[in-house]
Amino acid sequence: MTYYLVDGSEDCFYTAVFDAYKNKDCIITSERDVQLGLGFEVFDVVTDENKAERVRAKINALDRGAAEDISLLLKSNASLKENVAFEYIKLIISNGGAVRAMQANPTVIEMTQIRTRVYGEAHKLKGFLRFMENADGVMYAPYSPDNDITDILAVHFAARFNGRPFVIHDIKRKIAAMYDGNEIVMTYAGDAEIYLSEYEDYFQNLWKQYYNSVNIASRPHEKQMRGYMPVRYWKFLPEKR
Amino acid sequence: MLDAERLAILTESAKYDVSCSSSGSKRANVKGGLGNASVGGICHSFTPDGRCISLLKILMSNDCQYDCEYCPNRRSADVKRASVTPDEICELVINFYKRNYIEGLFLSSAVFTSPNRTMELLTDTVIKLRKIYNFNGYIHLKGIPHADDALIMRAAKFVDRMSFNIELPSEKSLKLLAPQKTRESLILPMKKLSTALTYDKENKVRRGGVIPAGQTTQMIIGASPESDGQILRLTEALYRKMGLKRVYYSSYIPVVESPKLPTVGAGLLREHRLYQADWLIRFYGFDVSEIVGEGENLSPDYDPKCAWAMRNMHLFPVEINTAPLEMLLRVPGIGARGAQRILSARRFCALDFDNLAKMRIILKRAKHFITCKGKFYGSESGNAVKAALMLEGIKETREQLSMFSCSSVALSALSGEI
Ligand code: SF4
Repeated sequence: MTYYLVDGSEDCFYTAVFDAYKNKDCIITSERDVQLGLGFEVFDVVTDENKAERVRAKINALDRGAAEDISLLLKSNASLKENVAFEYIKLIISNGGAVRAMQANPTVIEMTQIRTRVYGEAHKLKGFLRFMENADGVMYAPYSPDNDITDILAVHFAARFNGRPFVIHDIKRKIAAMYDGNEIVMTYAGDAEIYLSEYEDYFQNLWKQYYNSVNIASRPHEKQMRGYMPVRYWKFLPEKR
Repeated sequence: MLDAERLAILTESAKYDVSCSSSGSKRANVKGGLGNASVGGICHSFTPDGRCISLLKILMSNDCQYDCEYCPNRRSADVKRASVTPDEICELVINFYKRNYIEGLFLSSAVFTSPNRTMELLTDTVIKLRKIYNFNGYIHLKGIPHADDALIMRAAKFVDRMSFNIELPSEKSLKLLAPQKTRESLILPMKKLSTALTYDKENKVRRGGVIPAGQTTQMIIGASPESDGQILRLTEALYRKMGLKRVYYSSYIPVVESPKLPTVGAGLLREHRLYQADWLIRFYGFDVSEIVGEGENLSPDYDPKCAWAMRNMHLFPVEINTAPLEMLLRVPGIGARGAQRILSARRFCALDFDNLAKMRIILKRAKHFITCKGKFYGSESGNAVKAALMLEGIKETREQLSMFSCSSVALSALSGEI
């Protein structure tokens, strides 16, 4: 059995697909701490844009939507996500076209589930992300998502905040999307020191006031609240802190 | 600037309007503007009552000239009164929106001074928000009954959605409980808007059209004696004749003491059943006459789809691999998405019971109504089916209760999938 170790980028994954395609007994993974047994071989994949491009072209020719499926899969925090994506590609190639509709096929089921989880978290955080205004009028949003969705969110907010600069900071992965009002740049970002605008507290307090007054206290349903808004997101919500 | 006390007064009483949806519009941003609308709607927070916050729901004023029996802000009530200026609202919206607290504004008001003056001020506010503050996020505006058509149609050009609340399911109850509102004052503007929407659609008006997210309305359930059958007939007419996007049901909560009102609330189960029936009318191809008789109420024990299936056992079981979509949709335990999944999966291979289990079909319920490759897995005897479904239904209802209160979530999570 061969392990193709990848670095988490899409290009590296597609390179691995190119290298591993003919190998019947292998998996592709970005997990560095895999337990190796006897007869296991590890292959550190080095990104080769040429190979990656060829795999992409092949897949695009068979199914125009597949690249987006795979891109979402690779953002997931699921272990073995690369392998699910690999199986999915093999299925598309052996079928000679899109397989999304094969809703009874185990690989398609797994793909759909992971994709839905990533997409679902991105959708949730379009609502739960909270910006604070700093002294220079830049909006800053720290958060800690399960999946690597910062670039998806950045595109969403750039359309909304057209022309107004913001930073979305994934503090767990130490990456940030910076938007200067024109374009989005992804960058490494450790700890950030923020000087808040003098109005920040005032609006946070009004928001907390609003949150408390719209609740209908005679109809408590905390379980449902937690179901829709999981506790792990609360530490970034002014109304829940 | 707006202070916390006025904010509390003006949002406390706006909260009973259940509609919080921000869906149905895809208004785009413009260069330098703030905001856009997301077709599917977005929830920004959830309160401890389990409801979603999507919009800033606020009244322009709670100083009402009208005297609706059930309303805490009615003229004869002894409550603190407050109001805000258009600029105060605009600033609050912009600052909440920038911080991503909200998807937009739900602006409503008590009728202060006159209906026209009130409607004018509401309209001024939304125009200001769009033109001066450059806001392109979602706006839902409540219409004021008895205001001039011209004012209403002007406002409709700047907002995503409008609603006139029907309040009570019959004219008689309206007279008794909301004496200053007449049926005409609510229905006529709804008709006007509906005609304008049809005009825009037929003439493919894109820019400058009215309310892209359509109109909704709300009824209070259980403050007056109408049956579910009557309520749902009204609902069906509102959807089919007036093209409403949503009808909301708000089960009556006694906040005001009055000899004309019941002392106990209607309870969430009734509201829940109405939403389920509403869903059947909108998405599952049911006519109201199949669901419930005119003077009857929905069964508390089964959801309305189960109840219908049990009355029509002669149509079942249906074969999963050949049944048409309309029939799959009528099987208890198969939701709209489940039915689509079955349709697409069976093109590739004949489905058996195990396949269905993996496709998130609720088999505990569906098994009594289907065969897979000719095989039947349910109970043969009608009574055993009833007992099984009832047990299952009770458990599920408990879990789902009040899930519907927010439509953005409701669209995906809710009771609809029955
Ligand atoms: S019109 Fe009726 S329901 Fe509306 S605020 Fe006035 S009293 Fe209340």
